[in-house]
Amino acid sequence: MAIIERPSTTAPAVLPTVPSAAFGALKRPVTVSSGWRSWLFTVDHKKLGIMYGAVAMFFFIVGGLEAVLIRLQLAAPDGKVLNADLYNQMFTMHATTMVFLFVMPMASAFANYFLPLQIGARDVAFPRINAFGFWAFLFGGIFINMSWFLGGAADGGWFMYAPNSGPIYSPSHGVDFWALGLQITGIASLTGAVNLIVTVLNMRAPGMSLMRMPIFTWMITVVQFLLLFAMPVITVALFLLMFQRNFDATFFDVAAGADPLLWQHLFWIFGHPEVYILILPSFGIISEVLPVFSRKPLFGYPFVVFSGAAIGFVGWGVWAHHMFASGLGPVSVAVFSVATMAIAVPTGVKVVNWTMTIWGGKLSFPVAMKFALGLVILFTIGGLSGVTHSVAPSDTQQTDTYYIVAHFHYVLFGGAIFGLFSGFYYWWPKVFGKMLSERLGNWNFWLMVIGMNMTFAPMHILGLQGQPRRMYVWTEARAGEGFFNLGFWNLVASIGSLILAVGVLFFLINIFVTARKGKQAPADPWDARSLEWMTSNPPKEHNFDSIPTVGHLDEFFHRKYSESESGQLTQVKSGEEVILDLEKNADAHIHMPSPSYWPIVLALSLPVIAFGLIYSIPVAMVGGAIALLGCYGWALEPSTATDDEIDPPSSGQGKEMVHVG
Amino acid sequence: MVSAGQMVNRLTPVLRRLKFLPLVGFVALAGCASNAPQDTWAPEGPNAQMIDDLQKPIFAVAGIVGLIVFGAIAFAMYKFRDRGQPIPEQTHGKPVLEITLTIIPALILTVIGVFTVRTVFDLAKTSDTEMVINVTGQQWWWEYDYPVQEELGITKPIITSGQLVFPVGTKVMLRQTSRDVIHSYWIPKLNGKRDAVPGRVHLNRLEADQPGIYAGQCTEFCGLSHANMRMEAVALSKEDFAKWVDQQLADYQAPAEGTLAKEGETVFLNQCVRCHQVNGLKRADGTPAIAAPDENVVSGAAPNLSKLMTRNTFAGAMFDLVTPECRADVWDASRETFGEKYLAGVSEECLNQTDLRSWLRNAPEMKPMYANPALLTSTGGKYRGMPYLALSENDIEKLVAYLLTLK
Amino acid sequence: MFTTSSKFYVALTVLAAVSFGVYMILIGPSSIGATALFGMIAVGILFIWLSLHTRDADTDDEFASGAAADAPSRSMWPLVGAAGALLTLIGTLTTPLFFILGLIVVVATFVEWGIQAWADRASSDPAYNAAVRAKILHPIEFPVIAAIGLGVIIISFAEIMLAVERSAGAVLFIIVSSWVLAAGVVVAIKPNMRRGIITVIVVVGSLAIVAGGLLGNASGMREELVKAAEEDHFMHRECGPEKDKYTDKLALESVSSRSAVVATVEFIDGKLVAREQGVPGERETITIPRSNPSSIIFRNKTEGEFRLLAVTGKTMVSEGVYEVDEHCTQLIPAGAEQLLTLTMAKPTLEGGEFYLEVPGVEGQRVELVVP
Repeated sequence: MAIIERPSTTAPAVLPTVPSAAFGALKRPVTVSSGWRSWLFTVDHKKLGIMYGAVAMFFFIVGGLEAVLIRLQLAAPDGKVLNADLYNQMFTMHATTMVFLFVMPMASAFANYFLPLQIGARDVAFPRINAFGFWAFLFGGIFINMSWFLGGAADGGWFMYAPNSGPIYSPSHGVDFWALGLQITGIASLTGAVNLIVTVLNMRAPGMSLMRMPIFTWMITVVQFLLLFAMPVITVALFLLMFQRNFDATFFDVAAGADPLLWQHLFWIFGHPEVYILILPSFGIISEVLPVFSRKPLFGYPFVVFSGAAIGFVGWGVWAHHMFASGLGPVSVAVFSVATMAIAVPTGVKVVNWTMTIWGGKLSFPVAMKFALGLVILFTIGGLSGVTHSVAPSDTQQTDTYYIVAHFHYVLFGGAIFGLFSGFYYWWPKVFGKMLSERLGNWNFWLMVIGMNMTFAPMHILGLQGQPRRMYVWTEARAGEGFFNLGFWNLVASIGSLILAVGVLFFLINIFVTARKGKQAPADPWDARSLEWMTSNPPKEHNFDSIPTVGHLDEFFHRKYSESESGQLTQVKSGEEVILDLEKNADAHIHMPSPSYWPIVLALSLPVIAFGLIYSIPVAMVGGAIALLGCYGWALEPSTATDDEIDPPSSGQGKEMVHVG
Repeated sequence: MVSAGQMVNRLTPVLRRLKFLPLVGFVALAGCASNAPQDTWAPEGPNAQMIDDLQKPIFAVAGIVGLIVFGAIAFAMYKFRDRGQPIPEQTHGKPVLEITLTIIPALILTVIGVFTVRTVFDLAKTSDTEMVINVTGQQWWWEYDYPVQEELGITKPIITSGQLVFPVGTKVMLRQTSRDVIHSYWIPKLNGKRDAVPGRVHLNRLEADQPGIYAGQCTEFCGLSHANMRMEAVALSKEDFAKWVDQQLADYQAPAEGTLAKEGETVFLNQCVRCHQVNGLKRADGTPAIAAPDENVVSGAAPNLSKLMTRNTFAGAMFDLVTPECRADVWDASRETFGEKYLAGVSEECLNQTDLRSWLRNAPEMKPMYANPALLTSTGGKYRGMPYLALSENDIEKLVAYLLTLK
Repeated sequence: MFTTSSKFYVALTVLAAVSFGVYMILIGPSSIGATALFGMIAVGILFIWLSLHTRDADTDDEFASGAAADAPSRSMWPLVGAAGALLTLIGTLTTPLFFILGLIVVVATFVEWGIQAWADRASSDPAYNAAVRAKILHPIEFPVIAAIGLGVIIISFAEIMLAVERSAGAVLFIIVSSWVLAAGVVVAIKPNMRRGIITVIVVVGSLAIVAGGLLGNASGMREELVKAAEEDHFMHRECGPEKDKYTDKLALESVSSRSAVVATVEFIDGKLVAREQGVPGERETITIPRSNPSSIIFRNKTEGEFRLLAVTGKTMVSEGVYEVDEHCTQLIPAGAEQLLTLTMAKPTLEGGEFYLEVPGVEGQRVELVVP
């Protein structure tokens, strides 16, 4: 809708000025297909997805380097690489970076890029909010890491237990940066969650019922609901923390009658669903990859869907298993112990389904498949060690030792991150039109598998031998002797972390080599099954020339293959032919959203406000003014660019492309 | 000809199988003896034993389930690899199989659940307590105080730190709390860990079968020197414990006039008594010297140094008060001689002069504790741990002589 | 004849002149303020002449254009802006509050005036121009004005409630809320009622509340609250067996922590029974760690109202004069319970220094030991 509409009663001829010129600053940016403007002001879910991925990858490297420093410090007794203060900052930021700035946004990258493609939509429901979410995440991530250069990063651990996070016990501004930075990335997650939920519920292609939705889209949807309910909890907790630190509130102050366990409950009510927020996208990814390379549909699709949803629900009732040693009393401990065992069942269902998916298939093992199978095995190890500490008495021996570190790295590295890597190799040709090198990919995979197991498997031993977590040094006096001595296994873990780092380096080399001279990807390189492959590589700006009507789960596969009377599957069409069919029936009018200046402006106001809250309120007011400006620009800009502002009418090929809001 | 890629594919199942060897290793080697002092699989008291009896079978079950799953995956990867077979039937699952495979783990977990709940309640029992010790954590040391318990010979409260001393075969109840942040008390060979939360009193059962020293570590992240916050729980036979109580309750013996130790007492009264209490110590005018750690330290407490030389450690059990040889002598003593050796306390020959003097010279250099004055603005100038006192070498000499008399 | 900006300067000059007069009377001529205000009058007159002479620096071309052909609409912003500027100046001389208020007024004026002026030139159609202005400004004006209005009403009502007695407050609350409800019902039943009537109802109601708030603020908080503000949670002015007029009200069930306290003390049929957490049996002493907030639950199981009193030594008020340190719960009836949190910085050296007792009951003491 345009803002300026001439009143019909007035004769236009007498008007000396062109009213729309009055809104000159509020025009939509020109739609361009390349150059920095095409990224900065874009609202295209694919471009945003790529940017999410690139930024998350950067933070992965940052978090990885922090991890390597931690391992170097612990390689030998009485390490001298880091001092106590720096070490505490390092492990706090390693976890924060990996959880909030790598795995979550990387899942957002996949979700942004593939969710609309998988449901046959041309974009998400709210493209500008999508852009805002990305910029808020980027600025939030930068904001948190700015603390390194402004007196030290947060040093209370990612769980930030009160009262250790209070101004007395953590006097630097690190925790302030941490709390406010996470608020900002939290805003990004919340807006993203609302956006994707609306998209999934409203914008599916005709014929795609919920139970015909690709499993990745399903898992992402569950994750968005988890985010929608979990982020408010951490938001409240972070506000309490911020008020405690900056405005002398006493939410966790014992002398004022408070109970420090309040923070733990709030944090873990968020923190436990967060675990599923991290792992479910990867479950979704490998549930796409395993069927493709087994040439067989996902075994028990409804079971996988419902177990995912069940995990989402039960995940809210197990938070206190992080607090078995906190002194909750036997009744609470028993209840949460049993609830935790209950959640192992749907998780086990998934492992069974993956195994049954490859059972009886026709398996090929490209790198994407290797990573997917790596997830199944490594996650199972992590899951089984998880069962041992759902048993509360046993957990009181294991919690806060390296056994827990081993457990959740098997789950999050072996699980979440392996799933993401599987997704990289599987979807790279889709996104960039080039195949990642399988040779370098194999190096990448095997070094990561070896490095990962060398790093984290010894931690089982370290933990059971009684080495607690978060210690900046360990001492020879408590190391013991013999096969299980802490010295040897600490050294093995540290060497493993270096191998792991080299493995990741191979991935970066692979990206570089592929970009330089990778081979062009065919339209359907993996003989894939789902909708996102029913378009060119990379997809056109409008995704699909015509929106396909969906008749099956695995629609693409069913268009390519048909069953003969004898039950024999035969290929009737190639992928290219299917895509060509769609192009032939191209829609005459394709409406795409126009770019916008305002998401980035509005997102920029957030770190300014946060900075002001820490250092000086007037700066926060400037930030507030920027936010107001952003809101106004957002609300007032025209909902569409005029035709002459589209440059050039790209890949139109006779079609009329209209950019609308 | 077999390409390299196919080769990798062939080898994959074999290599996969190798990967879970560590897990098999845990199960197989679980019973092996090892010397790590904080080994969680080597219970030496009934509480830890109860946990151990519960967890070992669960580790075994988890290991077996793991082996079955990995076996199935490895088999499938080998058997169903692409050998040019036709595209398999596009089945979407077998609900009966699905439900069966859901119910089996649920049943296993139900059994585990029943035993777990029973153990949880057994470990929370308080009615059979035979002795009570109050344990208070603060950055970065533990204070132990023994309320009056006539039947154990404790006729006056005892307060100590660094080493928790208790009789064997006695059901001890630790009443834990904290003065600042959350800490966690953990002696792996005697029981699981329990957090010490400010404002709350948490209970923790402790019992040892045999005399000896049991090592532990604070396991809730508590700031800079979290890694240096250690525990040593000393179990003494009942007779030896009675002797220890008598030792602790003995009156203060002021050093003789004219000795170096007497000069040390003066230094102590000028400097150390601002934070450190020594029961019975009197000022020159005869009034009792009462420490005021609440005015100088954030946590409001500093270790009570009465009978310092009956302990083997100092600075939150970060340093040994005895030389390595003397330490080994006590730690490695046989069950019979342990009590006697421990009760002998720290003699002048055994005193770890190096660490003690360095500590008195500049404590923050020995142990990280937010000594930077710029970081003390938020605490109103109160220290978090022992500050740098600028003592002269002469004063240190006198102090060491004085501290040696605190038996 | 007056141009837009000349109106502003006229208003500014007049207000400055008035203030100058007031200032001269109240503070006297020999002050910086008087000098500054006089300077302002002079500068104002100069600017009036300048803006009239140059006709606001508008060129004839623009006057000829269609957009500005209409006479400028009436505007209150010159006057408001001038008042704001003056308030700022007064603020620099008196209190920062006026300065900030003046600044806000000036900024608001700039925004309003600027957008008004811009909208006035959007087209030659006043209705359309008004719509443009509304489009931009209403999203700011409505929330801001609503927030200010609501804030004033809420604060006024709070002032009323703090000033009147508890029972009167309850009655007042019922009356006011009934009126609000009644007004709402009337509007709901008669949706076509004249705007004017609704406006009158709302304005009169708001003014009444604001007036009440001012009155309440003037008369101060009720005594009970003043007394309560002088005490903290556990340091009551009255720790004896008699009921305190102000603090011993509604003291039922005020226990925030049911588990994990140091000890539980029960007053059962005239006897004080203490139990320490995790220690079997009754205790004659309760051990509390030094300088650490420790909570004790007190339960009254005797007919009548009792409180638990902790005596924790003496503090020297002046040379040789000591005051006993007392902390107590409120008087609680039989069956009720309350938490007493104690922090003791000094150790007990002799027995019997620190103890718990129930005021008015002899021979029942529980000793507190601080090692």
